[in-house]
Amino acid sequence: MKKLMRRGAALFLAGLAALSLTACGGHEPPTNLVSQDKEEERVVNLFSPMEKTDPNAENVARTAADLTVAMAEEALGVSVAYWTYTAEDYQDKTYDEVALDRARSNMDDLYLLNPDVILALGAEGRLMDLSGLDSAQNLREIIRTANTVDGRLVAIPQEVVAYGLFVNVDLFKRYGLSLPETPEEFLECCRVFQENGIETPIGANRWWLETFVFALAYADLYNGGNTEAEIAALNSGEAKYSDYMRPGFEFLQTLMDRGYIDAEKALVSEAIDGEGPDFLAGKTPIVMAYWGAANTETAYGKTDFEMQVIGFPSPRGQMPVMPMTGWAVGAEAEHAEDAMRVMDVIVSDEALQLFSETNRVISPSKNVKVDCVPALRPLNDRIEEGVYVLGSNAGMSVEQWGNTCLIVRQLLGGATVDECMAAFDELQAKAMG
Amino acid sequence: MKKNPNNGKKREGFFLLFPILLIFFVFGTIVFSVSQKIAREMSESAIENLSESLDLIQSTIEAILRSEAEFQTLIAREIARAEDPEEYIRSCEKNRSMSKMSLILSGKTEGVSNTGERFTEEELDFSAGGTVDGLPVSQSYVNYMGTWAYTIKCPVERDGREIGTLYAEYIYDAVDGSLPDGFYNKQASLYIMDAESRRFVLKPKGMGQRSAGHLNLEDFYRANEIQDPEIRAEVDACLEDGRDILFYHDIRNVRALSYMWAVNGGTVFLVGYVPVQAIQREGKSVNQSIFTVVASMLAAFFLCILLYYVNWRQQDKLRREREKERKIHSQQLAEALQAAQIASESKTTFLSNMSHDIRTPMNAVLGFTTLLATDAENPAKVREYTRKIMASGQHLLSLINDILDVSKIESGKVVLNLEKFALNDVVASVDAIIQPMARARRQEFHLEVTGVHHEYLVGDETRINQILINLLSNAVKYTPEGGNIWFRIIGLKQRSSQYEHIRIEVEDDGYGMTPEYLETIFDAFTRAENSTTNKVQGTGLGMAITKSIVELMGGTIEVFSEVDRGTLFRVDLELRIQEEQADQQFWKQRGVSRILVVDGDPGSRESIQTLMEETGVQLNAAADGREAADWLRGGGDCQLVLLDWETCGLPAARELREILPGGVPILLLAEFGAGDLEEALELERTAVLTKPFFASALREKAEELWAEPGKKTAPEAEEDGSLEGIHFLAAEDNEINAEILTELLEIEGASCEIVENGLLAVERFRQSEEGEFDAILMDVQMPVMNGHEAARAIRALEREDAGRVPIIAMTANAFAEDEKAALDAGMDAHVPKPLSMELLKKVIRHCIRGEESQ
Repeated sequence: MKKLMRRGAALFLAGLAALSLTACGGHEPPTNLVSQDKEEERVVNLFSPMEKTDPNAENVARTAADLTVAMAEEALGVSVAYWTYTAEDYQDKTYDEVALDRARSNMDDLYLLNPDVILALGAEGRLMDLSGLDSAQNLREIIRTANTVDGRLVAIPQEVVAYGLFVNVDLFKRYGLSLPETPEEFLECCRVFQENGIETPIGANRWWLETFVFALAYADLYNGGNTEAEIAALNSGEAKYSDYMRPGFEFLQTLMDRGYIDAEKALVSEAIDGEGPDFLAGKTPIVMAYWGAANTETAYGKTDFEMQVIGFPSPRGQMPVMPMTGWAVGAEAEHAEDAMRVMDVIVSDEALQLFSETNRVISPSKNVKVDCVPALRPLNDRIEEGVYVLGSNAGMSVEQWGNTCLIVRQLLGGATVDECMAAFDELQAKAMG
Repeated sequence: MKKNPNNGKKREGFFLLFPILLIFFVFGTIVFSVSQKIAREMSESAIENLSESLDLIQSTIEAILRSEAEFQTLIAREIARAEDPEEYIRSCEKNRSMSKMSLILSGKTEGVSNTGERFTEEELDFSAGGTVDGLPVSQSYVNYMGTWAYTIKCPVERDGREIGTLYAEYIYDAVDGSLPDGFYNKQASLYIMDAESRRFVLKPKGMGQRSAGHLNLEDFYRANEIQDPEIRAEVDACLEDGRDILFYHDIRNVRALSYMWAVNGGTVFLVGYVPVQAIQREGKSVNQSIFTVVASMLAAFFLCILLYYVNWRQQDKLRREREKERKIHSQQLAEALQAAQIASESKTTFLSNMSHDIRTPMNAVLGFTTLLATDAENPAKVREYTRKIMASGQHLLSLINDILDVSKIESGKVVLNLEKFALNDVVASVDAIIQPMARARRQEFHLEVTGVHHEYLVGDETRINQILINLLSNAVKYTPEGGNIWFRIIGLKQRSSQYEHIRIEVEDDGYGMTPEYLETIFDAFTRAENSTTNKVQGTGLGMAITKSIVELMGGTIEVFSEVDRGTLFRVDLELRIQEEQADQQFWKQRGVSRILVVDGDPGSRESIQTLMEETGVQLNAAADGREAADWLRGGGDCQLVLLDWETCGLPAARELREILPGGVPILLLAEFGAGDLEEALELERTAVLTKPFFASALREKAEELWAEPGKKTAPEAEEDGSLEGIHFLAAEDNEINAEILTELLEIEGASCEIVENGLLAVERFRQSEEGEFDAILMDVQMPVMNGHEAARAIRALEREDAGRVPIIAMTANAFAEDEKAALDAGMDAHVPKPLSMELLKKVIRHCIRGEESQ
């Protein structure tokens, strides 16, 4: 045994010595070391808003989109370059403005666009018709309708973005309040909160107050069974947008008048950044946000209290508001062909399944169904019932989402409801030509 | 001072550990310092590497800026030469880097752009004072294309007079193309930051949220957790002064170098971070290699230590074994030397003692012989002197016997003479010798036999006697007058059914021995030396002989002693049991089937019971006379009564005698020399049986009792007969001995004819007439023909009386084997020299009378 050990040790040492000696004796071959096979890289430029990053938190929503982009990169062998923009403050150009500029300058190939921009660029013919894509065949009809401009499908979303009211259920329970269904109930809740020391019960920013307006404006239009006729009347000028919009603006005016909304602060607040901290701290019982915010830790995905997401108050009860953010391809994009292919992949059923599972959102594909987080159930239930209003509709002659947002800002800035209605009338007149 | 060997080992271990620790320390220090040096150098190299890369990028961007400025200056000159400068502007086309060109003529606030719309300077901010080649450069902004841009303005001069200002807008995206693709293998992040607004105007185009970039410096800080106020203050200062800054900072737990690198005098900065590993791609493998080398060296080092340790252990083990052997060897040598010295000393002492002991009786012999010559006429004195000469001679003889005994035992020549014997005989003979000696010293001698199952055994009776007499005579010698001596024979539990396991104890309450003496008591040539025992004569060989014999018999001997308290010798022996024990037939023939034992001591009763077990005789026991009497009256029947004299006494004897039929004998069990027995012995058919009880003794006694009255045993009738009229032929080569023999025989009334050797004896006997010689006394060691040969020759003679003439060996060869050899040679008896007339008479009587009786 001892002999064996000694032999082993001697062998080990000999091996070690041999290795040490041979290590110094390497020679490089005398050839050209530069690789001559350089592949031409295929690039697709993608323009999207950039959300502020946290050091360690993962942004689920963004990650989900990235996953589908990665899927496309892998499938097509292209490289997707991200170009981003986010306004630092209200004085900056908005994302929509920059997106318009970039699309008009053909700066990028793929764009993530808000409904108003989709409508504007679609109308200008700057977006590709996506109806020929394989993946477009699986879209829910309402999605197809909402993104069709002049008979061309110009954008396809990865999720059905539903806006709702994010409420602190603990605070509602503390003051014996049930969750509001109608504008009156909503006002009553705000009154009770205010009486109990919560001076500004609604946290608001300069982007999303319009959701209140849409809920009141189009609750009947989209849920009254006569949608197409009503839209047709609006497009023909028989009906006025301002008539639809007025109750919503008046409601907002009431909220501002009673101090339930801090108009001044809202006008300069960015989404979530402005109102988020107070809501998370339990100081503000009500904020408005999009579906995905309930899944995202950087937004409202993790609260210390019981949170629920409900629809906006309307005569027809809680009303989700669904604008249609979507991906579009520049009509004259430098890499339009590849961009179309990427598009086909990222909105395919497979990609949408991945996206929806990651984000727990409603999918635009009729073939994809995913459970949602508990906080979103009230909102989800309404959507499943078919009760909602659209925040944008490419079928309407006046762009809704962007214009309403801007006019709400005017209201926040001190304009009267009548002045705001006049602005709608002006837009309608302009659209009529 | 005794040395603790463990201390030595510990010290040795420490000395071994110390260099190992030292080597470790030195090795560790070297490895540590080398690692530190490598780390430092690698860090310096990383910083240098990154600085070079950033310098390169900086130079590239500055070159772009300069070329843009030069281009603009050229355009300005072209415009100056143009007839309609505004028209010139309108006709200009934008290119990859320049997105817009505008002109404001001097004195106007509004100008034209090549994009078609009116142009004012209001939207541009030149307040920061940045320049490129002396041309002012604006702060960065998002242009009409939705991308970050800056504007350089350049005066348009014609004939040395400024006619307007040329504004050219450049987009940062154009710079992007000139930046390295995949900076540090795409692991580094690189932003271009507008120094004034601290907004990022060019971002990486990486995948995903983190890689897609940050909004501004604050966002960069927050996203990368750069919160240290000192660093941030330092960064601020550098941004203010347009200096470069590079610092280490962990980003998402990865060590990274963060940088802010001034470009164009600090109007824009390169901002970002590079994981150190990305810069030192080879660093990881270098570290791994160092680790492998260090680990290998450590492994080799440990292996060497292990091998050394194993080897050292083996050597140490061998060394210790050798040392141990050497120690044992030395010890053995020392012991041997000591033993030799002791033996030499003992023998010297012995010789000195012997010299003294032999000279003393010799002195007496010679002295009294001298006195004899003087007082030859005085018969009383002559008798006294001869008695003393005799005593001295006897003592001399015993001395010589002992010396020879020891000599024989030591040389291994002693052979045990195994024969059947009865324990009773041994006890009786020893008792007969010791009892008178003890009585002479007024000592009480107690004899006890207990638990012995078999009394007929096989062994060397003579040697057993020798053991017992040695021990007992010592006890008598070394016990003062009036003391006690106990002699016990105890039957121990048998270890084999064929052997009786007996223990012999000899105890006294005498002088005792010191512990030192006890250690040497069994050594030859030693003798307790003190004022008391000096009075006692002896060779000092007795105990050595005793022990040797005991061991020869396969037994053990122990001694326990205390000074002035006494001594106990304990001998354990295993003796073979005779196959034929007590003769059941004997008792049957005499019609004895039941014996009544009357003894107050239950132990004695039990002992008797045990010894009588094999005789087939039933024993009934009674504790006293009354119980025995009751039993007899109650119809109890027995053929013999054993009555213990000490516990029951005369009244019991009388009572039983009255009850018992006249033919039933009563045997009184009594100690040797018990008194007041006379009256009891007057009772009808009553006799004494001396203790201790043995079945054989009882049988002998019974034999006597049942023998016909008046019949006496033949040998005892002529007990004291002389040698009157007997004619001997004596072969003796020593003239003096021959003379003494002749004289002694003549004194006894016998006659003798002396021949000088065996051959002459044979011849003389052949020539003699039948019956001429009554017996032949034969010396053994003789010239020409020794005694044995002569005896054989005589027996071989073809004469009628050749086979039966008693031949008695008479020799100084006095040992048992000598006797045996004599008997084997055909002699009838053996009488050792010096000649004892009593013994000779007894032997001759036995031989001649016995022959006659036949």
